[in-house]
Amino acid sequence: MNRRIIGAIVRKDLRVVRRSRALMTPLIVLPVLLMIVFPTVFTFLPRIVGGARAAFAEMFRNLPDPVKQQFGEFTEATWIRVVHTQMLAPLMLLVPFMVANVIAADGFAGERERKTLEPLLYTPATDAELFFAKLLAAWIPAVMIAFGGALIYAVLVNVTAWPVMHRVFFPDLTWTVMVLWMSPAFAALGLAGMLLVSLRVRGMQEATQLGGLFVLPVIALVVGEVRGAILLGPFMAVLIGLLVWGIAAALLAFGVRRFRRTTLVGKL
Amino acid sequence: MPAILLDHVLHRYGDTVALRDLSLTVEEGEVFSLLGHNGAGKTTTVRIVNGLLAPAAGSVLVFGRSPLTEGAVVRRRTAVLTESPTLDDRLTARETLRAFAAMYDVPRAEARSRTDALLAEFGIAERADDRVGGLSRGMKQRLSLARALVHDPDLLFLDEPTAGLDPVATQQLHETVRQLARTRGRTVVLCTHNLVEAQALSDRVAVLGGGALLALGTPAELARRITPRLEVMIEIDPTRHADAVALIAALDGLTVSSDRIGVLRVGGIPRERVPDIAARLVTGGIGLYRLEPHEPSLTDAYFALQDGGKGAP
Repeated sequence: MNRRIIGAIVRKDLRVVRRSRALMTPLIVLPVLLMIVFPTVFTFLPRIVGGARAAFAEMFRNLPDPVKQQFGEFTEATWIRVVHTQMLAPLMLLVPFMVANVIAADGFAGERERKTLEPLLYTPATDAELFFAKLLAAWIPAVMIAFGGALIYAVLVNVTAWPVMHRVFFPDLTWTVMVLWMSPAFAALGLAGMLLVSLRVRGMQEATQLGGLFVLPVIALVVGEVRGAILLGPFMAVLIGLLVWGIAAALLAFGVRRFRRTTLVGKL
Repeated sequence: MPAILLDHVLHRYGDTVALRDLSLTVEEGEVFSLLGHNGAGKTTTVRIVNGLLAPAAGSVLVFGRSPLTEGAVVRRRTAVLTESPTLDDRLTARETLRAFAAMYDVPRAEARSRTDALLAEFGIAERADDRVGGLSRGMKQRLSLARALVHDPDLLFLDEPTAGLDPVATQQLHETVRQLARTRGRTVVLCTHNLVEAQALSDRVAVLGGGALLALGTPAELARRITPRLEVMIEIDPTRHADAVALIAALDGLTVSSDRIGVLRVGGIPRERVPDIAARLVTGGIGLYRLEPHEPSLTDAYFALQDGGKGAP
């Protein structure tokens, strides 16, 4: 593999994404919403909205026993821990998934739609180099945004919760595993899904609509976590991460066999 | 070693045959034109030669290598200017050239100097740092050509290169093609509908129709082979106009027409009969002021071939 060729394609793709308002808007809004706005609002909610504390206490009472046992009696500190380590944590996985999904859609279907794929096919980049470059162009920013956002999230939570917690309580081990192990896996899943869809459709709009369906595992995880069906501890996080890595790897292996110039040129 | 060798190449899109039994050779340093209507197989040929399509049958060699099994090696030596400027509007002109220089693995220092030189050569230097989306169509086409030349290819494919260019830019492109072939020994393959351009630039042309090779040769050869009879404009003494018409009309197989007194257009003349016609007019006492054979052009040959090729398989 020629790293210079791969690097050139990755840099070109990222530059193109950076300059697209239509792409950058979701890439900024979603992380800001999930990693800054949500944690801040949920930390302060019991103090700023009358009745919120009682509502959260009720919600806490309805959680499955194993979850309640893990957190003890309901206090404001309990609420903060439940929100950040249990309820909001899986939502964070949407960020690497969506970022990878959106960039991959632009890199595959978008490039075809803009008719800029053909000159790439005429370069000496091998099919594998093209494929790998397109993957990296989507995966690297997704993971970087996930890691950067997670760092901001952690700092923000500790700062905003300081008056209640009086210590650095976040992140815990589960959350750390989610960030370092699961979020790269979900980024891989997002781009693998988009790759498969993009090989079949012609336009960006079609690709984003179909590719978005691959978000369902994340939604399932969030719902399962909130309803107590899944109790996400470090071990479970490692297992789910492994499963997602496995699915993503299988989809990518399937995709790489179909990612051939001779196939792509037929869709130009 | 030929730059391109196609041997009995067949390609299909589903049930549609795009290329049928196409065999041709393009020599190094040659300007070669692929002529044909839309759907004749020109773009398919370019894609096969660059390893973007696999032929259903036959073999393809580019500088002695197979584009299918050694595609990366082949594409390092080729470049393709596609019909529409397939540039990314969100990059600047300079970024476009530098990105493609890196993709063709041009050494960094060389890429920088080559990019600057191409931007200057194609008159884009002043707009080098503007986004491509803001450039005119002509500038985009020039930038596309600069992009194709960024790695100094040995074999350059130009698909309708002057479509959308103004006359000055067209002339500049023609000059670039001549320079590439004549002084730098590069091979250029033109895919075009522009027959005048093909005649002016090409050493040899191949006429494609329905995916098959209809004719191959130099423009002059083709014109003579396909349309061997000439049209001759004869200017004579106007007072003997009627006599001249009668004299020529009496000859077998010739047609005579006239727009004005003293000027005849005689069609269907075999090349070897031109001196005979001149001699008959002179011996008939008709003052002959001028006799100008109209050489058949590539355009004449092309249309003759395409008309004949309508029913071709």
